[in-house]
Amino acid sequence: MTSELVNVSDLNQYSYCPRRYWYLHFYNTQGRNYYRVEGKTKHENQSTRGNWLNELYLESEELGLKGKIDVLDLGNDQVVPVERKRAESGDYYRSDELQLAGYCLLLEEHLGESVREGAIYLYETDQRMHIPITENHRKTVQEQIEAMRSMSVESVPPLTDNRKKCEACSAREYCMPEETAMLEPDKATGTAFEQEIHNESN
Amino acid sequence: MKATEGMFDESVVYITKQGTQVRTDGGRIVVWDVDGDGDKLVSYPTEQLDTINVFGGVNFSTPFVARANEHGIVLNYFTQHGKYRGSFVPEKNTIAEVRRAQYALSSDDELAIACAMIAAKIRNGRTLLGRKGVHGTDLLKDLGVRAENATNKDELRGTEGEAAERYFSRLDETLADGWTFEKRTKRPPEDHINSLLSLTYVMMKNEVLSGLRQYNLDPFLGVLHADRHGKPSLALDLQEEFRTSFCDAFVTRLVNRGTITHDDFNRDNRLRDEAFKTYLSKFDNYMKEEFTHPYFDYSVSRRKAIRQQVILLRKAIVGELDDYHALTFTR
Repeated sequence: MTSELVNVSDLNQYSYCPRRYWYLHFYNTQGRNYYRVEGKTKHENQSTRGNWLNELYLESEELGLKGKIDVLDLGNDQVVPVERKRAESGDYYRSDELQLAGYCLLLEEHLGESVREGAIYLYETDQRMHIPITENHRKTVQEQIEAMRSMSVESVPPLTDNRKKCEACSAREYCMPEETAMLEPDKATGTAFEQEIHNESN
Repeated sequence: MKATEGMFDESVVYITKQGTQVRTDGGRIVVWDVDGDGDKLVSYPTEQLDTINVFGGVNFSTPFVARANEHGIVLNYFTQHGKYRGSFVPEKNTIAEVRRAQYALSSDDELAIACAMIAAKIRNGRTLLGRKGVHGTDLLKDLGVRAENATNKDELRGTEGEAAERYFSRLDETLADGWTFEKRTKRPPEDHINSLLSLTYVMMKNEVLSGLRQYNLDPFLGVLHADRHGKPSLALDLQEEFRTSFCDAFVTRLVNRGTITHDDFNRDNRLRDEAFKTYLSKFDNYMKEEFTHPYFDYSVSRRKAIRQQVILLRKAIVGELDDYHALTFTR
């Protein structure tokens, strides 16, 4: 178990695919692809608006978490953390919700009052969706922090059980999921790549 | 094409024009003709590049080198004629965990990896001969099996030497009229074919070397080639499986199609300046050319296939895969 604090944005990475997170975390293997480059530019170009606080960094030994909240909406009577996402599908993912929940937990501790919702802003549709943070979210975040802190370089997580996730993954070129399944089929047991047939080369 | 598949493409640049300077300008890398008319010759998006090869009198601005360091771009220096001089390696190209695993390889693990590479080299040589209609290579088949099952490195080196001799003795039969190949000679290459082979091996060594660096393996710690100061043993090891399949095939193509003729060489068996430029552009095209991958069954450029072998090698070294799977062409 590491004493390092988990980055909130990594909650998202890990819940997307533990193997992807393992590559990024231990081997710094980050492919350059459209999604990542695009995401970075969007963040840089976003302008500031009234009654918003940009980029608040928080950390907590208690939670084992640290992270930077994109935007804090200080309007009305409650403070709402906003996470900005690029999502071609016009929707966000479950993993984005977890990331948001992580920010809510951090903010809660920082302010000393409960934060019951966050918001995801989608660039594509210019939409802001409010997301209530449930007990289930909180529990999942805590379990995940636990799992992430006990990861080790010696044990590579299995291939994903959902092939769709590989399509937009920047670590795919290094991960080589289908190729791994073809070369060493036992490595794909119990994953989405189990059906891959080994091409006999002889 | 899916977005993630563009990653390796067009990521290598060759700069041969003398008197130019490479600079950075916004998000782009720009080549200026400083000694000539002072014009901008060409520019590339920084994100896209991972290797820049420069030949002779080309220089880099200091801000450019800083940018190359930041973006993990490897710079390789050659003389104007293609002799390798050295490299600039970005500081982030070290991952302790990878190096630790590489240095901790047991000699059994090293042998297993080396056997796979040499067996592939022998098999690929036989495949190349077969494709060109050279038959009666059963002995190479036997030597391939022997390489696969070698019980120590000396035995493997012996088998490799014997196979190389057999293979080169038949290479002559793959060449068009007017070209001959008697035996492999280096330092200096004694004929035009040997000269082209030597040059191509240098170019390939460099492809492999920058791939190894990109994936944070130490190119100087090999699994088969003996350690010697300044010798990139691991690059030479991994290069083995590409020597026959890619390098020799490229050289035979150059001469058989008449792209390079005897008139293109000077007295030292070296390519003349214009022919060398032609050679480089043909080599780059050859690296970008796609083929159907023998195991994965999709279309892939040679350059990408080489990077994939680096990844597979690293996976075998860090224990993510049980074995090293060399790139073997069986037909």
